[in-house]
Amino acid sequence: MNVEVETMVNGKLVHASVPARLHVADFLRQHLGLTGTHVGCEQGSCGMCTVMVDGEAVKSCLMLACQLDGRHVRTVESLAEDDRLSPLQQAFKEEHALQCGFCSPGFLMTATALAYQGKRPCRAEIREEIAGVLCRCTGYENVVTAIERWFAEHPQGAREDETADGARTA
Amino acid sequence: MTTLESSPERTAGRRPGALGVSVARKEDERLLRGDGQFTDDVDPARVLYMAVARCPYPHARIVRVDTSAAERLEGVQHVLSGPEVQRLSEPLGVLRPVPGAPRLPYYALAQDVATHEGQPVVSIVATSRHLAEDALELVDVEYQPLPHVVDVLAALEPDAPVLHPSVLGSNLLASNSDGRGDPAARFAEADVVVEGRFRIGRVTALPMETRGVVAQWRPGARELTVHCSTQVPHLIRKQLAESLRLRESEVRAIASDVGGGFGLKLGVFPEDVLACLHAMALHRPVKWSEDRGEHFRASTHGRESVHDYRIAADADGRILAMTDVYATDIGGWNSPFGSAQLSSVVFNGPYKVEDGYTERRVTLTNKTPVGAYRGYGQPEVNFAYERLMDRLARRLRMDPVELRARNMLKPADLPWVNPAGAVYDSGDYERCLRMAAERIGWAEHRAAPRRPRADGRLVGIGFSSFVERTGYASSRFLAKRGSQFGAHESITLRANRSGGIDAYTGVSTIGQSSETAFAQLVAEVFGTDYDAVTVHVGDTAASPLNTGSFASRTMIAAAGAIREASEQLARKTLRLAAFRLEVQPEELEIAGPLVRHRTEPGVAVPLAEVYSAAITGQGIPPGEDPGLEATSHFEPSDAAYSFGTAAALVAVDPETGEFGVERFVLVHDAGTVVNPKIVDGQVRGALAQGFGAALTEELRYDAETGQLVNGSMVDYFPPTAADLPPVELLHTEVPSPVTPFGIRGVGEVGTIPPGAAIANAICEALADHGVELDSLPVTPEKVWRALTSDKGVEQW
Repeated sequence: MNVEVETMVNGKLVHASVPARLHVADFLRQHLGLTGTHVGCEQGSCGMCTVMVDGEAVKSCLMLACQLDGRHVRTVESLAEDDRLSPLQQAFKEEHALQCGFCSPGFLMTATALAYQGKRPCRAEIREEIAGVLCRCTGYENVVTAIERWFAEHPQGAREDETADGARTA
Repeated sequence: MTTLESSPERTAGRRPGALGVSVARKEDERLLRGDGQFTDDVDPARVLYMAVARCPYPHARIVRVDTSAAERLEGVQHVLSGPEVQRLSEPLGVLRPVPGAPRLPYYALAQDVATHEGQPVVSIVATSRHLAEDALELVDVEYQPLPHVVDVLAALEPDAPVLHPSVLGSNLLASNSDGRGDPAARFAEADVVVEGRFRIGRVTALPMETRGVVAQWRPGARELTVHCSTQVPHLIRKQLAESLRLRESEVRAIASDVGGGFGLKLGVFPEDVLACLHAMALHRPVKWSEDRGEHFRASTHGRESVHDYRIAADADGRILAMTDVYATDIGGWNSPFGSAQLSSVVFNGPYKVEDGYTERRVTLTNKTPVGAYRGYGQPEVNFAYERLMDRLARRLRMDPVELRARNMLKPADLPWVNPAGAVYDSGDYERCLRMAAERIGWAEHRAAPRRPRADGRLVGIGFSSFVERTGYASSRFLAKRGSQFGAHESITLRANRSGGIDAYTGVSTIGQSSETAFAQLVAEVFGTDYDAVTVHVGDTAASPLNTGSFASRTMIAAAGAIREASEQLARKTLRLAAFRLEVQPEELEIAGPLVRHRTEPGVAVPLAEVYSAAITGQGIPPGEDPGLEATSHFEPSDAAYSFGTAAALVAVDPETGEFGVERFVLVHDAGTVVNPKIVDGQVRGALAQGFGAALTEELRYDAETGQLVNGSMVDYFPPTAADLPPVELLHTEVPSPVTPFGIRGVGEVGTIPPGAAIANAICEALADHGVELDSLPVTPEKVWRALTSDKGVEQW
């Protein structure tokens, strides 16, 4: 059975007819070709599929595509502008906060949602906040450092970046 | 925190991207944008999806398979079951067979009997993954459950059900031993003997990207293109060709971005063969992406073994002999890579032991096959000998640091051959031990141990010293062991008309930063800019034959190939530039984007012009071949041994057994460092896996039912960002004499010492309670059981 969905993804309006049982991660990857959102466990435990929905970090394998109707989604593909990495991505690069990079979109979108919600977490809080995303390569230290650095260096920029895509106006 | 990165003398005066500098990674841009290409991101036109029905029992006879209802479901395109797979393919190969083990008939689908829960029985291809999975529900398989055994020691008992009776009379797949001297005589004359049985739990590598494959067959061209999440594209190509009865030239394997491997993604798994068989039957692309439930049951596991370890010493604490007799669990089949055998190579650790003996018993059980996993046998045996070193120190009333130092191989002892025949190349083991002891504050602690803190906790400090084999001891050594691969790495360098160098490698990008490190070495040796080097990975059609990324071997072997190819390319570049500039090649040097005169400023030609001249053949000296390309293969003369010491400070509640690792120091030597940031990253990442296996990770099987009871991410616990203890990393840098640039491998060291260091710290804290910990993972429950048992030993 298919369901009609109208949703804003990375600032673009999307109309789609989707199977009722399709989850958001598969919708983004298979229907929209946004393969930066990864799938690791399909039970909400690993965090690879984390995206931002209406400003909140969401495990997109636990949400159905039909639930996106009328909502605003941001994925990792929305962060960089043309040839320029966003300050958050740049912080990850400079701090060596990724190795295989499979988990990176999950961390990036978790941090993006924190900023969107106006949070300014300290180092210990960052550790807790990102604990919903697993990583087997980095030992996390550099991930925490990158996010901490981004909050320190771009307290305003992070916020402006989040609202620039018109997510709240469409 | 002291790291390589923060020591300024390392980087002073060096060019960006040069050897030893933490240049930003080549891999990051695409991965951070979500523009990596992992296997599941590959989506060819008209692709079909595969799903696999799996045996729900640990051991069962397959009485009847009825797939007719599944075949009738709309959207289902093709179904395979056991007999057809046997008709169309050969059993799976093993890249690193256990010496002396018979080859088991491991087909991609179970034939008459399945020997572990999760073994593939039927596979189905449909127009969507949902439909393929729906069709699994319609597959009707009648099983006759057979008696099973899941415990590695019970499997060796005479009354255990035998897994492969047509090949073997027992579950002992193979046993072999190495030794030197007369350990029995040393034990007889020893003042002290300590011994114990140490059990290391079964864990999973748990890469965040599960396995996956996309197979496409063009019958007219006889070309099978296989995108696969693998660490070894060229070896996959060979193995697939053998299983599918194709010529190797008919298979092209591609693995670009791989979301972690850690040893798990070595060799061909049943699902790889199945996807290819379907694609060849249908003439359409077929994709399979492993789900996490399948991953827990059908991708290889790691570690599980039981070590009976003994140490003999004299009254002064000098070790006379060490022996390790161990049973290692390989599960229901020989895995695609083969069982962990490295324990014997490092079984004596960093200690000088002339008389030693080690015996392996590779044992079949009704569980998922065990393969390589980061460390591959080394964390296991480290836990055994380092626990016993502490026990020996207590028996002798010696300082455990002094006991270790007294027995350690000294720089002058190296190179040294261990009793199993392994050659330890060079190093200063004691320096790492002393640095760790000083950093953790051992002297102060030792002066006043085991006084409860205000919170009632007792604080202990534990050490674990180790050597780690990195790379392989040559292809001749591997040949003796029956390995299906050599020890070499390779590179092709090709100049292009944009003024850049394309580097082609068969290595895939699994997180080990090869693209960055390779480009750094090319830039260093050739003399051009780091940014001018582009590394193309993981395509067997483009790269020279190589071995792959495992055993911390890539860099130490590839560095030699890169050096040689870069030098070749530089020599020709200088000849061509000299012709253009009408000078002698010796007068020129490559500097960034130019070839310039060494002494006369202004005499220079852009590299792009030299490359163009070579590629077109226009404007090159008479007698010189056109083109500017070099391929080199290199095999290091021996394995290079990394080494170090870890120290853990742990606070334990003596009432409840609950504990916390409050500090963890690792002093480590990986020889010459190519990129300090990458080295730190590899060590930290491996440590996180080491902490997981030491504290929270264990795959548990129910003895009664033979079922994996925690096969999902909600009940298997890898560490999260909130779980890890603070880590202090210190490095020494002793170049290895057996590898180019003195590089040692670095990928696995962090997995080795956490278990022993943490357990030793807890036992030190609870020494007045007589507590001994003998198994991994160490949990508060085990500590509590040891505290409350009469013998002070945990019960397992």
